[in-house]
Amino acid sequence: MFDGKVRVVEKNGYQKQVMSIYRFINDRLYYNRPDIEIKGEPYNSTILFSLLTGLTGGKELIIGEPGLGKTTSAEFVCSLMYQFPLGVIWGSEVSGHPEQTEEKIIGRPDLGKLNRGEEDVVWTNFSQVPVKIVDEINRLPETKQSMILDGVDRGNWEYLNEMIINDEYCLFATANYQDGGTNTIIAPLVDRFDVIVESRYPGANLSFIIGKNRGKNHILRHPKYEKDLYRVLKSKVAYEKKIPKMEEICNAFGEHVRETAGVKPLKREDRDRIRAEMEGLDLDLDASAFTRMILSELSFCERYGQKRIVENCEEGCHYTGYLCRQIRNCASNRLPTSIKSFARGLAWFLGDSGIDIEHVTSVMPYTLSHRIQWKDEVLSQKERAKRDDPFQIFLAKEAVKAVLQRYREQSDHLKDALALGSKIFQGAPLEPPEGDHPIYAEIRKDIRYRMNHGERLGDADDPEPV
Amino acid sequence: MTQNPFEEFQSFQYRKTSFPLDRIVHTAEAVMDRIRLGYEKLLEEEAKELVWMVQYNTIIKAYEVAEKYIKEIDYSAEDIEDFCFALENTQRIPYLIPGPAGIYISALCNDAREEEIVLKLSELKTEINLIGFRLPKGKRLMVEGDTGDFTGIGIEGGELVVEGNSKNWTGAGMRSGKICVKKNIGLHTGEWMMGGEIHVGGRVRGLGNIVDGKVYEREKLVYPGKARYPNVYY
Repeated sequence: MFDGKVRVVEKNGYQKQVMSIYRFINDRLYYNRPDIEIKGEPYNSTILFSLLTGLTGGKELIIGEPGLGKTTSAEFVCSLMYQFPLGVIWGSEVSGHPEQTEEKIIGRPDLGKLNRGEEDVVWTNFSQVPVKIVDEINRLPETKQSMILDGVDRGNWEYLNEMIINDEYCLFATANYQDGGTNTIIAPLVDRFDVIVESRYPGANLSFIIGKNRGKNHILRHPKYEKDLYRVLKSKVAYEKKIPKMEEICNAFGEHVRETAGVKPLKREDRDRIRAEMEGLDLDLDASAFTRMILSELSFCERYGQKRIVENCEEGCHYTGYLCRQIRNCASNRLPTSIKSFARGLAWFLGDSGIDIEHVTSVMPYTLSHRIQWKDEVLSQKERAKRDDPFQIFLAKEAVKAVLQRYREQSDHLKDALALGSKIFQGAPLEPPEGDHPIYAEIRKDIRYRMNHGERLGDADDPEPV
Repeated sequence: MTQNPFEEFQSFQYRKTSFPLDRIVHTAEAVMDRIRLGYEKLLEEEAKELVWMVQYNTIIKAYEVAEKYIKEIDYSAEDIEDFCFALENTQRIPYLIPGPAGIYISALCNDAREEEIVLKLSELKTEINLIGFRLPKGKRLMVEGDTGDFTGIGIEGGELVVEGNSKNWTGAGMRSGKICVKKNIGLHTGEWMMGGEIHVGGRVRGLGNIVDGKVYEREKLVYPGKARYPNVYY
């Protein structure tokens, strides 16, 4: 059980700086209880995953009841991780509503130039700043959600025949639970979010204090720098030339925050260095084998070759005990990317030398829960279970726990099977590995493919068939 | 060269291992193959035309044949249960003939090393005859579900418990021991029984010509007794 205090381990270098940002947000800006424990230390998942989103350049969906700090938590994190004053962040946010248009989200024609017969685009603040917040994304009608797909995915914002590319960006979107004014978030957009977290009710006592402490926004505001940044954003110079100017103002604002609040926000070069440090962290064999195992359960179908949302499981299937039986859809290729990226970010944040299975299992439920579509029978079976988390996150945590149990029972055998797969792949005349889990069937498929076609694919000197 | 998807495990010290579960499954499958083979041999020898007449000498002979094949197999009570399930649920066993199947299962139970055996027959659509044939002293056989005709005939001191119903000629020729049928029992119950007890939780449809022994219906002694006569149907 958590004792309510946040104990954080101080690390050297940038970890210490990021930890101080975490602590600053937790102590002064976003009051909430810890709800996740990693390596014996309690953290608040909303702040932790928002920080990791900022660090890794990821995409986070924050869900929760109205008024529980979804948007404000994202704003604080963005401000401190990217040195933007809150005023600019507010002015760059896109709010989801049915009348939202591409012109308000991405850019509009430069009407002055258009009158002169020239075509040019005035880009929105949202498309230009590296920290992007879409408030109440599920109030955007489903047809309009498609407008931001490409920008969300790649940082490419296109209007008329022009395009700007954000070489560094992160995205936060908030969503209320379903009510009269919300729409479903379309599957391709949901899949683009790396993680989902819930901004939870902090409890009656903390909530009471929040009511007392108005005015905390002033800590991260600076009207002069806000005006300067707006001036740069509005200026008619090329986007690439605006970036160094924005960074200059951001650095000045960061210095101001350091002096007044005692916390040092991250500069662009800090973030670049952190990302370079993260790149040096690799998954250890257990983390890799476990991730492969869960991916196989989320995608495997013996009968139809892979999971597909349009196909149903056969009665009497041999693989009834695995997740593939409980879900409708197939895991996308973005899932392992999200898992690795956030596990890497977490390992770096904790100052660990590599990514181990605990990093992976800690982030996995948050990367999985919005991507899995459970079968109705699973939902009805578990909806009344006692839990602390939102239903989707609860189901994902249960799923990860179940697969982890299976992994612990056969981790050596699985690593052996993967090592054997590597040897066979390199041409060793060995028998394919045996085992009952879908992952073994996947290994055998890869090997069989290699045995049947690999040599031909790999051999450049092979004669062309006549 | 195509990308090796297992590259990071290249340096992992590979050692050939097998799951304990795999070993168990393989062993169990090998045992099941031998049990199945014994049953097929029994059918070949005793039910050539897929017809098997229940006569005293055919039962004795079939039991001897079954014993011959069973003696060579090292099996457990769980294997008997698996065999019962496999009788109807796999394509590997081509014919389920209730008589020889019951003789064979009885021989398996009598020769098993365990003293207490549970047979789950409730899933079977066919009621197996002759279950509990010659059940020796010291053995307890519990059957979940119903049994067919000739249940527990010639019991030699063992205890047979049937959780469901039992059909005609139950306990015929039994010498000692106990049969408990939790629900109803058919006609000719205890025909030529020489000793032992039959307890029926439901109704006894008809008693046979009983030489000696006791029959209870809902805990009430009906043989020996005044109210019930041999072959009287109730």
